[in-house]
Amino acid sequence: MQRLKIRPITIYGLNTALTFIITFLIFSIFTPDHLFLDPRNLASMAKLTPDIGVVALGIGILMIAGEFDLSIASIIPFCSYIFTQFIMNGMDPLLAFILIFPIGATFGLINGLLVVSTGLPSFIITLSTMLFWKGLLFGLSRMMPISILKYVSDTPIEKILTGQIGPVPIQIIWFGIFAVILGLLLHQTKFGNWIYATGSNQEAARAMGINVRMVKTVCYMIIGVLCAWAAVMQAVRLGSFAATQGIGFELKTIAAVVVGGTALTGGVGSMLGIVLGIFIIRIVENGLILLKAPVFGVEMFIGVAVVIFVLLNSFVNRRLVRLNS
Amino acid sequence: MSANSGNSEVLLRMEGIHKWFGKVHALKGVDFEVKKGEVVGLVGDNGAGKSTLIKVISGYHRANEGKIYWVGQEVKISSPKDSRALGVETLYQEQALAPHLSIARNVFMGREPSRALGFMDKQTMNNDSMEALAAIGLHLRSPDVMVSTLSGGERQGVAIARAIHFEAKMVILDEPTIALSVKEVQEVLDFVQELKEKGIAVIFITHNLYHVYSVADRIVVIAHGQELANMQTKDTSVDQISKIIVRGTLGEEV
Repeated sequence: MQRLKIRPITIYGLNTALTFIITFLIFSIFTPDHLFLDPRNLASMAKLTPDIGVVALGIGILMIAGEFDLSIASIIPFCSYIFTQFIMNGMDPLLAFILIFPIGATFGLINGLLVVSTGLPSFIITLSTMLFWKGLLFGLSRMMPISILKYVSDTPIEKILTGQIGPVPIQIIWFGIFAVILGLLLHQTKFGNWIYATGSNQEAARAMGINVRMVKTVCYMIIGVLCAWAAVMQAVRLGSFAATQGIGFELKTIAAVVVGGTALTGGVGSMLGIVLGIFIIRIVENGLILLKAPVFGVEMFIGVAVVIFVLLNSFVNRRLVRLNS
Repeated sequence: MSANSGNSEVLLRMEGIHKWFGKVHALKGVDFEVKKGEVVGLVGDNGAGKSTLIKVISGYHRANEGKIYWVGQEVKISSPKDSRALGVETLYQEQALAPHLSIARNVFMGREPSRALGFMDKQTMNNDSMEALAAIGLHLRSPDVMVSTLSGGERQGVAIARAIHFEAKMVILDEPTIALSVKEVQEVLDFVQELKEKGIAVIFITHNLYHVYSVADRIVVIAHGQELANMQTKDTSVDQISKIIVRGTLGEEV
């Protein structure tokens, strides 16, 4: 009875794994002196990737539920701004860090409620909230950086968010923890099944008694919390609030998640795929710079890479589905 | 079979159901009845009010006027949840299943058995879903197969197996044979037979009189928001029903 079982949901992760390995090998071999594999390079990637990676995990889940969130590009700097304001007003950094989560969740809640109550495409709603919060933030902060270095240096929060365990930057460990928790949520729990059902066929999900509005709103709130985490993690690493935090994340997260095998139309994707998609984008970016591609032109190559990866993904998926049936 | 007195018990009775959509009077005082374990064919032209009537039963629309009784008790059905709580499963074409999810995940969609912290009991989901499919004579390879890779008939089977597994008392099939091949249509009609044998009532909405004629105990014709005819299948013929539908339409237009 226990024949070879092909599980459709893990398949999506597996072919991304193949892409990941090939990408990793290409840059390991072809970068000068195998610079890509240099421990310092790997450590720097492990330190920087989670800034966007943590948020992209949430974006992936939301896209499986069939919605988008562009407003992360403003929620991240806004959370960072609020965090620094708390500290500048004498609050303990650890307390400020804890308080930032309900605030991030509230940003998400607002997005979620707007999306489910208006019935407008989430792309439009979150484009609007992105612009709204950005405008408000630029007005409030006048785009001036605010240094918090003296408040956070050598504090527990610095160790928790930007420290190291042996040679391993702690950021990548946090990223792993988030990925595991969200992966369990997505693949093993009832709520995860509701996320897939909502994205795959909203009408069917509703007919079976799933509260699709609640599912979507919770997904937005998860993203809000992840944005809060990423905002503080980045602010503490930089020692400063910067109005430019999170710029471009709104589209780069979509690119990463799609490279990871997530469908823009919802219902398809996996946590493994999302994680690997994030790394693939990062590796391409990093590897190209090591290959001395012009720094400002790197995005051009990433654009090409995204299309190639997605084509590859859909080709492999079609083959697998045919094998499966 | 005829001695089975339980079969004559009325499961659902609707009296004087009116439904307006703005100025459109979609249902004009419809009376409708389904007995326990009975297969009722609901036929009529486009816009006759078939869909509106079943949406009132399944809780998607609320009747503006009229009463609904379930096993003799008056009930209010104001949401799909209310309807499901009574034991009514409505299978809309293309709306019943999530195509990207596995069979097991579809069977238990929204009603996943779970352990602590909302973790799904996948073992139970896999075993029970395969058992439910086998019970209607559908033997598929694995509970992990994605629903989008199944044939149209098999998909209807998954939805029907789900209804049986959750002990539905009545299943509403909205155009279950549309866009299916001849072989698949036969599969679906067999599933309806299975439902009947398990004592589950079926409302079968269709345009295809031949499909409904082969399985229904009774056929109800709706036209212009009213009941036009209500006949035991054995007392009528496809020809007669089709004449009633056509004449009914013409009669109103003249």
